Amino acid sequence: MGIGPSTKETSMHHFRDPLLDVLANDEDIDLLGIILVGSPDGNADKILVGTRAAIWAQGMRADGVIMSADGWGNSHVDYANTCEQLGRRGIPAAGLAFNGKNGKFVVTNAYLDAIVDICKNEDGIESNVLGENNMTVTDCRKALAMLKLKMRKADRERGN
Amino acid sequence: MADKNIDLGRLVIRAFNIKAVTWGDDNIVMPSGEMTISKKVLPDIISDMDAVESVDMRLIQPDEHDQFTNTILDIIPISTKALGAIGEGITHTLTGVCAMITAVDTDGKQCHEFGSTEGNLKEKVIFDRPGTPASGDVIISFDVILKSGMGQERKGPYQAHLICDRFLQIFREQMKGFDGKLCTERSEFHNIARPGKKRVVIIREVAGQGAMYDMQLFPHEPSGVEGGRSIIDMGNMPVFVTPNEYRDGILHSMQ
Amino acid sequence: MGVGPSAKETSLHHIRDPLLDLISADVDIDLLGIILFGSSDKFSEKILASTRAAIWAQGMRADGAVVFCEGSGNNHVDFANLLNQLGKRNIAAAGLTVMGKNGQPVVNNDYMGDVIDICKSSGSVEPCLLGQNNLAVTDCRKALAMLKLKMRKADRERGN
Repeated sequence: MGIGPSTKETSMHHFRDPLLDVLANDEDIDLLGIILVGSPDGNADKILVGTRAAIWAQGMRADGVIMSADGWGNSHVDYANTCEQLGRRGIPAAGLAFNGKNGKFVVTNAYLDAIVDICKNEDGIESNVLGENNMTVTDCRKALAMLKLKMRKADRERGN
Repeated sequence: MADKNIDLGRLVIRAFNIKAVTWGDDNIVMPSGEMTISKKVLPDIISDMDAVESVDMRLIQPDEHDQFTNTILDIIPISTKALGAIGEGITHTLTGVCAMITAVDTDGKQCHEFGSTEGNLKEKVIFDRPGTPASGDVIISFDVILKSGMGQERKGPYQAHLICDRFLQIFREQMKGFDGKLCTERSEFHNIARPGKKRVVIIREVAGQGAMYDMQLFPHEPSGVEGGRSIIDMGNMPVFVTPNEYRDGILHSMQ
Repeated sequence: MGVGPSAKETSLHHIRDPLLDLISADVDIDLLGIILFGSSDKFSEKILASTRAAIWAQGMRADGAVVFCEGSGNNHVDFANLLNQLGKRNIAAAGLTVMGKNGQPVVNNDYMGDVIDICKSSGSVEPCLLGQNNLAVTDCRKALAMLKLKMRKADRERGN
């Protein structure tokens, strides 16, 4: 499974992306930028590109990451790996993903503890209704709040 | 604010010094420093390569630099991962020996674009530089004859590099199992973050124009080819690597 | 012109790179990592890739960059653009490349002043001698010293 109509992000969505708005306007955050990474077909490629993204974030000395994914099913393989690679590098990560009922994570790990389910459909399914299961401002605020908590906890653990 | 250094990761490189490289019946390397080379796998290695006419090998001992060579495509360290991915874990590498690739096509055209090093080896290499063999190294040279015109196409030099890479993999598989205690030298590198200090990046513009003018990234093995991808195929766009990935050989010069 | 035998960096060079050794060992520097980009044969790709590298460095909140260009001639087009893009973003930069007699930059701008010529051969032609015009430790020391001065100057100008 890849991207269904209800989760797919249109060019218009990117142009008015609520996640970017929420992060860019938060005065407690120094938003370094947006890393874009493709979700390839092959498993080896999925692992490679997601790991490169995490190494890049570490090179940027990022204190935290919000991870979003356009799509679900096999895209969650990359998603879970990237979250794990960030976690193993000590970078707190929160995220947004479509789960609902038919988009549960196909793989899981210890680093998927702060993911907001952006499913809006009452039955938790891919409804084939454009835009229905897109992220909203509320989803993004939730994810940011979870990230802030995780970053604060990481600070405490480092003794700052 | 506590500005203390943070260790972002460790890379251990164990070097095994090779004392003698000789021709033999098989390709064998021993942690004690003996290495034998056999050409018998070469036909197999090139059987699926459509740009390659033939390949031969030379063992060049330190006192044999006074000989002709075709243009040099690359000098390659012989390393493998014993544990972990490139840039972390443990790498086993050989010292006292390195690989060299030379290439020419069947029309006698050297595989180069901006100057060729064909000629007498001792006059065409400045030895003992970071990128060149030490004067005391044994050089395992892969002398590739490409099909007509293939030295100027991407797949010609690519396949020449692949020959060397497949051959070295035979040794890499043996080196993975070397007992670490037998190494002659052990180095440890750390990616250190120094919060509060000046934040600096190194930006390197590398080859990306085609034919031998290319850079292979993210191979399976240190300084390897197989499993990697070309910076040209990635549109020459910037990629980021850590200091330890870089010094462990996450890139391979294709020119 | 691109990369001749005297300037080209072998795979062996990369694992023993003097520039990386010097900078990673300097306790006054937080080395974020190495950004690599290819020098395309197309002008538009040269400008795109080198500009992306500068934007990336800015996203990393880099105070400075040491920029190395393998080769000369048309490679200096990307090199010059990169120095320009870094300069415009107030990121201090020191450059290293081969110039010598036949590799003087084909383009110029306000930020090309701080470039160290690593050419060691005296004639005006490519000497075709493997390793001769490679980076030496002295070249790297010069570049790092120059970068530190520029970063200090930038600090003063910002009133730090």
